[in-house]
Amino acid sequence: MTKAFHYTGLTLGYLLKTAILIVFVFPFLWMISTSLQTYRETLSYPPTLMPAVPQWINFAQAMSAGPFLTYFKNSAVVTLAIIAIQLLVMIPAAYAFAKYRFPGKNLLFGLVLLAFMIPGQVTFIPVYLMMADWGIAKTLLPQIIPFMSNAFGIFLLRQYFMQIPEEIVEAARLDNAGEFRIMRKIMVPMSMPALATIALFSFVSHWNDYFWPLIMTDAESIRPLTLGIAMLRETEGISNWHIIMAGNVVLVIPILLVYLFCSKQIVKAFVYSGIK
Amino acid sequence: MASIEFVRVSKAFDKQEVIKDLNLTIEDGKFTVLVGPSGCGKTTLLRMIAGLDPQTSGSVLIDGKDVTRIAPGKRGVAMVFQNYAIYPTMSVRENIEFGLVNNKVGKAEREELVESIGKAVGLSDYLDRKPSTLSGGQRQRVALARAMVKKPSVFLMDEPLSNLDAKLRVQMRIELIELHKKLGTTFVYVTHDQVEAMSMADKIVLMNKGVIQQEAPPDTMYRRPSNRFTAQFIGTPPMNIGELGAGGIKYGFRPESAVLSEVQGDEPFSVRGVIATREMLGSETIYQVRSDSGNFMVKRSEDLFAAGQEVFVGVAAEKLHFFGEDERRIEEKQGAYRDYLEALRGRSHG
Amino acid sequence: MDKQRLGETLRPYLMIAPAMAGIFLFVLYPVVFLGYLSLYDYNLMNKAKSKFIGFDNFAEIFSREDFYKSLSNTVIYTAGVVVLTLLLSLLLAVWLSKKSKFNVFVQAGIFTPHVVSIVSIALVWLWMMEPNLGFLNYVLKALGLPTSEWLQSSRSALMSVILVSVWQGIGYYVLIIVAALQSISPSIYEAAALDNANKLRTFWKITLPMISPQLFFILVIMTIGSFKVFDTVKVMTGGGPNNATNTLVYYIYENRTTNIGYASATGVVLMAIIALLTFVYFRLLSRRVHYQ
Repeated sequence: MTKAFHYTGLTLGYLLKTAILIVFVFPFLWMISTSLQTYRETLSYPPTLMPAVPQWINFAQAMSAGPFLTYFKNSAVVTLAIIAIQLLVMIPAAYAFAKYRFPGKNLLFGLVLLAFMIPGQVTFIPVYLMMADWGIAKTLLPQIIPFMSNAFGIFLLRQYFMQIPEEIVEAARLDNAGEFRIMRKIMVPMSMPALATIALFSFVSHWNDYFWPLIMTDAESIRPLTLGIAMLRETEGISNWHIIMAGNVVLVIPILLVYLFCSKQIVKAFVYSGIK
Repeated sequence: MASIEFVRVSKAFDKQEVIKDLNLTIEDGKFTVLVGPSGCGKTTLLRMIAGLDPQTSGSVLIDGKDVTRIAPGKRGVAMVFQNYAIYPTMSVRENIEFGLVNNKVGKAEREELVESIGKAVGLSDYLDRKPSTLSGGQRQRVALARAMVKKPSVFLMDEPLSNLDAKLRVQMRIELIELHKKLGTTFVYVTHDQVEAMSMADKIVLMNKGVIQQEAPPDTMYRRPSNRFTAQFIGTPPMNIGELGAGGIKYGFRPESAVLSEVQGDEPFSVRGVIATREMLGSETIYQVRSDSGNFMVKRSEDLFAAGQEVFVGVAAEKLHFFGEDERRIEEKQGAYRDYLEALRGRSHG
Repeated sequence: MDKQRLGETLRPYLMIAPAMAGIFLFVLYPVVFLGYLSLYDYNLMNKAKSKFIGFDNFAEIFSREDFYKSLSNTVIYTAGVVVLTLLLSLLLAVWLSKKSKFNVFVQAGIFTPHVVSIVSIALVWLWMMEPNLGFLNYVLKALGLPTSEWLQSSRSALMSVILVSVWQGIGYYVLIIVAALQSISPSIYEAAALDNANKLRTFWKITLPMISPQLFFILVIMTIGSFKVFDTVKVMTGGGPNNATNTLVYYIYENRTTNIGYASATGVVLMAIIALLTFVYFRLLSRRVHYQ
């Protein structure tokens, strides 16, 4: 009796959890399904769950609505450049904050933390004016250089560096290794998990970013994919859902694929960043 | 090969002075052990030689040359750390050759050196392994190999054996002594363990609270401790110390210097007491004797007495030590020595 | 001081120089610049025509109804998102905290929306919430429930935006709470069981206090994050209908070209609110939070 009760409870639990899962996954399936439907199918009632014939042409139509190759290239260049610059700037800074003692260290590190608290939504107007002033508003730079110092990354990496025993650094100094060699050969290889976390984090947030490029891009030639897709509603008409969803699939699929293959690392990265 | 000299060296951490005006010469080619309780400044001295925590004032000379302005990696010293500080992301081979690469040693020469050192420390089969796959003893050898391969003129070791289990520690002790003999280089070894110091050193430097208490070879350190601190730090159980009664003078004798008997002997020191505890350790037995003059530890190779038994503790004249009010040793040639011996005889009770 | 010693003293400063330069140039200086702009009637085309007007911009802010509308929208949005997310994520996390493959799978599923661009999320939900053809109303109708105008009515628009935000964000918070729950040592529960504490009591007296640092962290980042809401609003409603979803950042965004001084002043107000919230949270709540 209790055993039967236990199994019923267990099955019920599985069913409920599956239902929850559906709530979170269905919208993406719905997006994919719509992207393959005909215009008529999107209008039908009850809604079409599966298109009769997959309309691959929708993708072609969505992609011809604007210079999507350029958008894609812009997104890739901006995201990769941000990650590369951030790592170059972050590693020596975190190393100095973790392993050196120098006057003003606490104050300067406090400024890093302060910067972490001030969002781009507050600073975007002055930064935009600065970019216009410097005459680089029509390049990709305004989407890249404001993110050169990743305050959160510096904080996280410094924590990680601090856990590396002092003696290892000292042993390297006795082995006549210069400071940059110590960073390259010892600190960086030893903190790969933290660096991967930070890079992954940067990748997800900048590939997906909408607000900052919206502010910083006046010209079509420098727009990233997120803006291009969001504009489909204007260029293709707000009721052409099959085309809009086709564009959306193009935007989502790369990140979903990355997530599908390294969900474990991504989940770990996010949890790690949240708990520290 | 090199001698090391500290000239009026002081060191402060956050304005707190740990070492003040210290002078010390470490002889070329000797195995010198810096020993003392934790916080006595022995590791600080070692790190000054390495240049990891440079002195606040004074100078450190290696082979007669002031190295104050020379970076750690260019002083010709190698160091073995307590936790070995092995680079965990590098293979054993990369660990050993890291210093060579930094010193721009050619590839062929490097390989030859690594191979021969690897063989010398018994790591030939492990050169391409990651340190995480090695045992504690093997990691210790990697740390040693990494130090040896640079052919340093000074070997610095900071409690290198304290992370090993007791058996391996004894074995490594012997290996280090042999290594020193083979290389003939200056070894400076820091430990808090007086047994390690006694067994390995050519010369012991005993420190307490930043001050050198005594520098001497192990036997001198043991037989003629220059002050009460040394007398009680070296040897287990430590030297028995008692009040002579007048002028703050203290007498002392080592546990194994005392004789136990059922009848009173004619030694200058002879008191009656009761055996409070008895520890039978196999080759020797340690008694704790309670007497009116205090508690004494007595170590005997024969095992003749039981706890609760009444005994006489006797110590021969040449086995007795006296320490003045300033805690310094009172030498036999000093005039007062005879008087103290007599005073002690007068206090003997039966 | 000789060259070598000087180099050693300067070395750490050189190492942090690029990072500090970025922080000064793109965060700290802009904040000062923002304060400066907020005191001007700023002319974008002709800087010479910009006029210093003191606190007039701020006076204008606090006398304009549309500002209060966007402020109250933001407050309602924040309260809604924070309360719903906190409750639901706590519930889900407790339910999914047992270490099993299926639970990890469900967690990964719930987390999916968090790695996807808000633009995509907004577009998908815009389509789902379409009043006539959308899937949501179809489901409601099929279940015999009343349908909704969702984003197209000023009565339900803000609630709809809140729903989407909760749906997107909840996975992250579930993960953090699950990690917190799993880090509690089982021996504490065993001790509680030996003390004959029932499940509810154990939850209130042990579990909740033990994970309070993480809950506190979530509360802070969620509140601040919600106050900055923009993307969902921009893509889904454009602040409408009838300003029903106009939020502070969107308000600043709308004014950024026509009236830079005014938009900057609003930015200063937003920053002040965020600073105040952070400060208040840390002052009031940190005392009640249990830290190991």
